Amino acid sequence: MISLSDIPSRSTVRHWVPIAVLALALAFAPWWLPTVGLYQYLGIEITIWMIFALGFNLLFGYAGLHSFGHGAYLGIGAYAFGLFQQQVAVSLWGGLAAAIFAAGLAGAVVGAFISHRRGIYYALLTIAFGQVFWFTSMKLHGITGGEDGLLGIPRPPLTFFGLEFSLRDNLALFYLSAFCLLATVLILWRLVHSPFGRVLQALRQNETRARFAGYEVWRFKWAAFVISAMFAGLAGGLFSMAQQSAYPDVMSLHQSGLIVMMVLVGGGLVGFWGPVFGVILYFVTRDVLGGITETWLLWFGLMFMAMVILRPEGLAGMFHLAWNRLRGARAVSTPLTSEPDLAGRKT
Amino acid sequence: MSQSRFTRRGLLGAAAAGGAVTFFAGPWKHNRVWAAASDKPIRIGLTSDASGQYANSGASDRRGMIMAIDEANERGGILGRKVEYVHIDTETIPATGSRVAERMITREECGFLIGAVHSGVANAISQVAQKYGVIYMNTNSSSPTEAGQNCHRTKFVWDGNGTNFAKATVKNAIDTYGKKWMLLTNDYVWGHDTAKATKALLDQYGGEVIEEILIPQGTRDFTSALLRVQQQKPAVVSAAIGGDDQKAFRQQVAQLGMDKNPAWINSQQDWPDIYGLPLDNLFGVFGTTWYYKLDLPGVAEFVKKYQERYPDTQMRVPGNVFYNGYMATRELLSAIERAGSTNNIAIIKALEGHKMSATDRMQHHDAWIDANTHQVQQTIYLATANSKWSEADKDDMFEIVASAAPEDVIDTDAAAACKLESYEETPTFDA
Amino acid sequence: MVDLLPHILNGLTLGLLFALIALGFTMIVGVMEIINLAHGSLFALGAYFALSMLGGSWFGDTAFGAWWLSLSVETRYVAALFVGPLLAAIAGMALELCLRPTYGKAPLYGLLLTFGAALVIEEIIRLGWGTGEQNLAIPSAINGPVLVAGFIYSKYKFFAAGFSLLAIVAVWLFLEKTPYGAIIKAGAHDSEMVRALGYDLSKLRLLVFGFGAALAGLAGIVMVPIWGLRPHVGVDVVIPAFLIIVMGGIGSFWGAVAAALMVGLAVGITGAYAGAWATMSMYILLIVVVGFRSRGLFGRKSVLEN
Repeated sequence: MISLSDIPSRSTVRHWVPIAVLALALAFAPWWLPTVGLYQYLGIEITIWMIFALGFNLLFGYAGLHSFGHGAYLGIGAYAFGLFQQQVAVSLWGGLAAAIFAAGLAGAVVGAFISHRRGIYYALLTIAFGQVFWFTSMKLHGITGGEDGLLGIPRPPLTFFGLEFSLRDNLALFYLSAFCLLATVLILWRLVHSPFGRVLQALRQNETRARFAGYEVWRFKWAAFVISAMFAGLAGGLFSMAQQSAYPDVMSLHQSGLIVMMVLVGGGLVGFWGPVFGVILYFVTRDVLGGITETWLLWFGLMFMAMVILRPEGLAGMFHLAWNRLRGARAVSTPLTSEPDLAGRKT
Repeated sequence: MSQSRFTRRGLLGAAAAGGAVTFFAGPWKHNRVWAAASDKPIRIGLTSDASGQYANSGASDRRGMIMAIDEANERGGILGRKVEYVHIDTETIPATGSRVAERMITREECGFLIGAVHSGVANAISQVAQKYGVIYMNTNSSSPTEAGQNCHRTKFVWDGNGTNFAKATVKNAIDTYGKKWMLLTNDYVWGHDTAKATKALLDQYGGEVIEEILIPQGTRDFTSALLRVQQQKPAVVSAAIGGDDQKAFRQQVAQLGMDKNPAWINSQQDWPDIYGLPLDNLFGVFGTTWYYKLDLPGVAEFVKKYQERYPDTQMRVPGNVFYNGYMATRELLSAIERAGSTNNIAIIKALEGHKMSATDRMQHHDAWIDANTHQVQQTIYLATANSKWSEADKDDMFEIVASAAPEDVIDTDAAAACKLESYEETPTFDA
Repeated sequence: MVDLLPHILNGLTLGLLFALIALGFTMIVGVMEIINLAHGSLFALGAYFALSMLGGSWFGDTAFGAWWLSLSVETRYVAALFVGPLLAAIAGMALELCLRPTYGKAPLYGLLLTFGAALVIEEIIRLGWGTGEQNLAIPSAINGPVLVAGFIYSKYKFFAAGFSLLAIVAVWLFLEKTPYGAIIKAGAHDSEMVRALGYDLSKLRLLVFGFGAALAGLAGIVMVPIWGLRPHVGVDVVIPAFLIIVMGGIGSFWGAVAAALMVGLAVGITGAYAGAWATMSMYILLIVVVGFRSRGLFGRKSVLEN
């Protein structure tokens, strides 16, 4: 199956086109969202989760490190934002900075512990730490409010060069969150197409060889973990503003597993935009199907299973293949099912 | 012709389409003033859990709400308008509660929200509701914080909370069973708040806590705690264990034959949680706000209505969760009629301080909606397992041993902690 | 110290039960190199199948149903103990067939597929049996209290622990002393060679998966009277099972048993003296053990490390 490194960075489609399309879609969202039966708050949630998923995919897709406990960092970001507003100062940038910092710090601690592992041990330890954070947030209910949640988190006004915008309205918060999403996209795009990103991909393909090539494997793995945790923290901070509260549930294994599902189905393993497709698919399915039947998760789960069996390259992979088929076979020379052979070569 | 993705034709087409969309669907701000027209139906959002830990209770809650709505429609609607409802599963997850509330208010145009069992979900929904000024009925979440620090101008709480039940039981239990107590507390907010209230009352009446064991949520095996109880030999054990954990707990205590000694004081017992369990699982003294066999006028007819309306449900008789859902909905609708309009502030004022007679409530004492905390002060019943239980009447599991008047069990701590938003701070609209 | 004794006994009992749950899991991991996150769901399925069998709800109002219910609880319970795991095995084998396309690829795909399967099975259970908590009727001979050294214990728990011990020994004997066991162990060690020697690897994998699923289902039936039965119980179970396997060392039979006993003791003792930490104790134990011995107690290098 095709993988991330097969989609060249100098692709036939100019790389700014998808970013422009996204920017336009976000800018005009308040117009087209209601016409397709959706609503503004859902738009906010979708942009937040896109930030989370894109950051997560740096670790999951590019570095090939499978974390099943990433919801914890979203949760930490949310609590950090809320606590900052309540204990320190009502400030948007301060709160977001606190969220990113706190989640990054947690990521740094956990990353330090697990980055010399890989494969299944890595995954399992991420689950264990995720659960520990979840339990802790429930236990420290004096600080976090326990399962009642941290409530009454205000939406601080956005101050920008002396101008002040209120974020009380969902529309305003949506634009802030969309702006953060675009910033995330730009940062991550630069990151994955930089030497750092290429090293991560090398790690994914063959860690031993990367070590022999002289790279400090541990450092790169740790950095990838911390960066993805920081984006999760940003998403968490925005989420606590959207809900105006923070709850421990996002840290549960179920929620952490959902982000994995979203990213895979969307095609995060093969494309930069995979997580974006996955988030859209999940949220729309949940809202639309969920309004019709209570067993929507059953159908989504079955679809997920079918994807893993038949099309693990996900939506992004399917789009990429369809696009290339339209343009003629000459565009892609890599066969569909190519796995590195024992020597690590691609056949 | 270039190979580029954009052709001139394509761009022109897109621009035209964009223009058309903008013309027909501008960025709407949800505008409710035009609802002054009386033909528009009253839309109520039912925010009950259909999955997750409280799925069973959520379903019962919802049935109560729907019965009240259907009855109102059969009488010709409210203020001449039909009452419609929308239900979305809140999944016992607070984040889902926020999203569901937002969707119901912005997309489904619901003017009222009803329903909750889990306090986290109730909080999430009520924050959103308060933001828009939408009235929210918390039917079944019995956390003391609901009427305390998490109270809101738009929220009304219909269930008795852990403090009410503690006040009804503790003094009596000290006098009857003894002073040495142990506490088994579910390690989350509801458990802690209930335990705190119990400890305060023990202090007041001369009881003594020899040990408190914290039990994490999701514990399925209580042997360690029960062995400790055997080691410590208290006179009374006060157990604040909720939800599914409670069922496993009851089963294990019964299996060990510990149900008679020591004496057990449990907090409120929700009917869906024990329906169908073997009777020996129902040990100790517990609380409830209503029972289907209360010897009061109207109860039998109410039960019959339930059975006729819901012949296929597993629960053949209704319990307190159904009752709270029904009462909350019914009182909301009658408050709208009393206010004579669907202006939310007018309805809130019609609800605050509203008195409901004992006959109306099918309880032993009159009830009222506290204007300071928005919690319904109602009769609290104490019950044990029915000593005259028989297979022939297998649903009759409770034996009501006492009823406490609401004046005697008011949660004064909540009243002190609750700060309602002012009317001016609450957005106003006509539903 | 004397105060601690009943808790140690409780912990060991709990540990044996965890070992039973981990057993099927470790077999599948050992032979198939798959982390089966749907193990808990198979556990739950076994219990729900037994529930329906015992209660006779499948047979409805037929004549067979009436006859079935006329049998004593003991007979029905024993029958359910056999048939429930069998049905779970069938479900397991169906899952294995779904997993086939993911062999040869990174272990991630197997993990993800079984995660999806766990979700799907939980939803199916919800649809088929409802969301409420249910009870399994158990014969009165093994139900009720029993006095040991002045403390009341649950008779059923001792039965369950004893049953687990028998099952562990039986599985060990099967693996060590029978030719089939040898094939399975060989398959775990070097599947290509086994195929080269002429054994049908696909069939072997299918049967092993089925066997593991049957053990999961059996564990489910045994644990239900202790833990209660609700759709979410599958997820509650798979995490401790997973922890125990890794702690004991992937692919090690006695490692899993030893780790299970350790977890049981940790949970049992903290449950009494530091209640709030009881559920977290197993995670902390995992982090500590894996921190010192990175492959777990008795682990060997396995394919899963790539």
